[in-house]
Amino acid sequence: MNRNQKIFSQFGICIICISVIGILINNLTINLIRTGLGFNFSWIFKPASFALAEHVLPYSSSDSYAWALFIGWLNSLKVIISSLLLATCLGTLIGFARTGKNSLLGLFSAGYITIIRQTPLLLQLMFWYFVGFLGLKNNMFFHIKNIFKISNQGIEFLGLTLSSEFSALLFGLSIFTSAYIAEVIRGGILSVSRGQWEAFRSLGLSERKGLLKIIIPQALPAIIPGLTSQYLNLAKNSTLAIAVGYSDIYAINDTIINQTGRAIECFLILLTSFLLLNLLISNSMETINKIIINSRKYN
Amino acid sequence: MLNFTLIKIFFKKLRKTLFSNSFNTIISLLLIVITYLFCLNTFKWLIYNANWEVITSNLPLYAFGSFPADERWRPAAWLISLLVLSLVTLFGPKWKWLHKNLLIAWASTIPLGLYLLYGGIGLSPIMSRHWGGLTLTILLTVCSSILSLPLGIILALCRQSSIPLIQKLSSIYIDVMRAIPLIAVLFFGQLLIPLFLPVGIEIDRVWRAIFAFTLFVSAYIAEDIRGGLQSIPNTQIEAANSLGLNQYQIIQLILIPQALRIALPALTNQSIGLFQNTSLMAILGLVELLGVGRSILANPEFIGEYIEVYVWLACVYWSVCTIMAVLARYLEKRMTINQANF
Repeated sequence: MNRNQKIFSQFGICIICISVIGILINNLTINLIRTGLGFNFSWIFKPASFALAEHVLPYSSSDSYAWALFIGWLNSLKVIISSLLLATCLGTLIGFARTGKNSLLGLFSAGYITIIRQTPLLLQLMFWYFVGFLGLKNNMFFHIKNIFKISNQGIEFLGLTLSSEFSALLFGLSIFTSAYIAEVIRGGILSVSRGQWEAFRSLGLSERKGLLKIIIPQALPAIIPGLTSQYLNLAKNSTLAIAVGYSDIYAINDTIINQTGRAIECFLILLTSFLLLNLLISNSMETINKIIINSRKYN
Repeated sequence: MLNFTLIKIFFKKLRKTLFSNSFNTIISLLLIVITYLFCLNTFKWLIYNANWEVITSNLPLYAFGSFPADERWRPAAWLISLLVLSLVTLFGPKWKWLHKNLLIAWASTIPLGLYLLYGGIGLSPIMSRHWGGLTLTILLTVCSSILSLPLGIILALCRQSSIPLIQKLSSIYIDVMRAIPLIAVLFFGQLLIPLFLPVGIEIDRVWRAIFAFTLFVSAYIAEDIRGGLQSIPNTQIEAANSLGLNQYQIIQLILIPQALRIALPALTNQSIGLFQNTSLMAILGLVELLGVGRSILANPEFIGEYIEVYVWLACVYWSVCTIMAVLARYLEKRMTINQANF
């Protein structure tokens, strides 16, 4: 295509896009006028008048919608970060178990990975909530006096109480993500050539030291990108919290839409908050990646 | 004599893999004990404690939702034809004409399914709100995968385009779609699409869901195909140019077939993921497989029988996923054989 053709086609595409968007916005305004809602954000400072079972910062039902949304965003962040940590630990363990020498352990982790990956996350979350926590009735499933307690009220650990919704979500998300992380870790370890294993063994390094000093540093560059995309998936999957009644950002948006009917505005808020979360995760992973690359350079 | 040495080798191997040092021995023994206890308790529960009536008395509900009882043979015929077709594809005789027509047979399952479900010529028409269960889950998966493949290819080509505006627009679309959670897109499909349509025009819920799934999955497919496109060496395009092919012929005959073959494993993974993700429609008001489970659990007759229902649903999802994965592996194998024939 020559220059003129390119400019001409871009012009044409511009016109098509603008007219399609124009038609859609026209339809939207007609529909919004018909339903008598209009489009504005002034409702966001009115009192929310719904209670939240879970809040990191102080919240009461007389606080504004904006504050409720912010609390929801913090709740999302809380569950994402804690399940991210748990999933990484669990996934690393399973990934190593899968590649290790013990074939029985390998078989077990392979079974775990297939079962978890071949069933929907929503089903798993419902299982953890309705069977795992609410199914416990009031008799404690696991109880060490004053230290650790699991019941249908949630988990209590050294005075730290986690509600049953949060714990179900934490368990479900971490277990689901750990299966994927295990595969990422396994891929990373397998990407280090066999010669490296043989080399450190022939140098007389112990298995543990060789793994820490030789294998893992070389596997990390292959692991980090896969891990980042799993973390982003985890953040997106955390919106399924609504199925277990945990008040995350999506659940609060849903409540507000039911209350006020402002679907378009809430959808825009949801989009922005997710773009923010994504930027947060991908930027911090980028930083970690840079630190790892730099540390390899100076060694 | 032979058996004795075999047993000896077996035990030697066992010792080497399971009991090579004290740490390994402890783990292996622990695992054996856990497996024993787990199996014992599971079998006990499966046989004595579980109340399977919640499954057996509702089997038609799980399969077809609230489809009218005397028309149930229609979705059943469709599901059975799909199953037979997958069995023929995998284990059927290796006749050449059969293999040539398999693709046509697979493609014709979609119009067949829609005809059987909607009714129309010769069959009594049935509204989509009566669709449900496994039938609806599979319909959502199949329709959305088929629709999102061409859209994904177009998006991937646009992202590689030399015209800056097209390239920018498609990358914005792909990046935004990949950044937001699926449930938000489905929510958009169910609640916001009616707002963007002119007054008087309505799309029914199932098609809105399929539309939303298509929008979402096509962004992921576009990225997979872009990976395939980027791995095609530039010399291919130069060769095609020197043969005198034009732009569209290059795309149609050189780029897309190769990109699709490279991206095939990723694409089949996407459709398996899509199958699992159709369960999200249970939150947004469609009565697909998980939705049926939820509505049965809300029935006072079966209240509290969560474990049975969830275990059953997990088994169904797991087996359909496994069938899909096996079919995908078959497809990948066939594609590589074709490559060797070149």
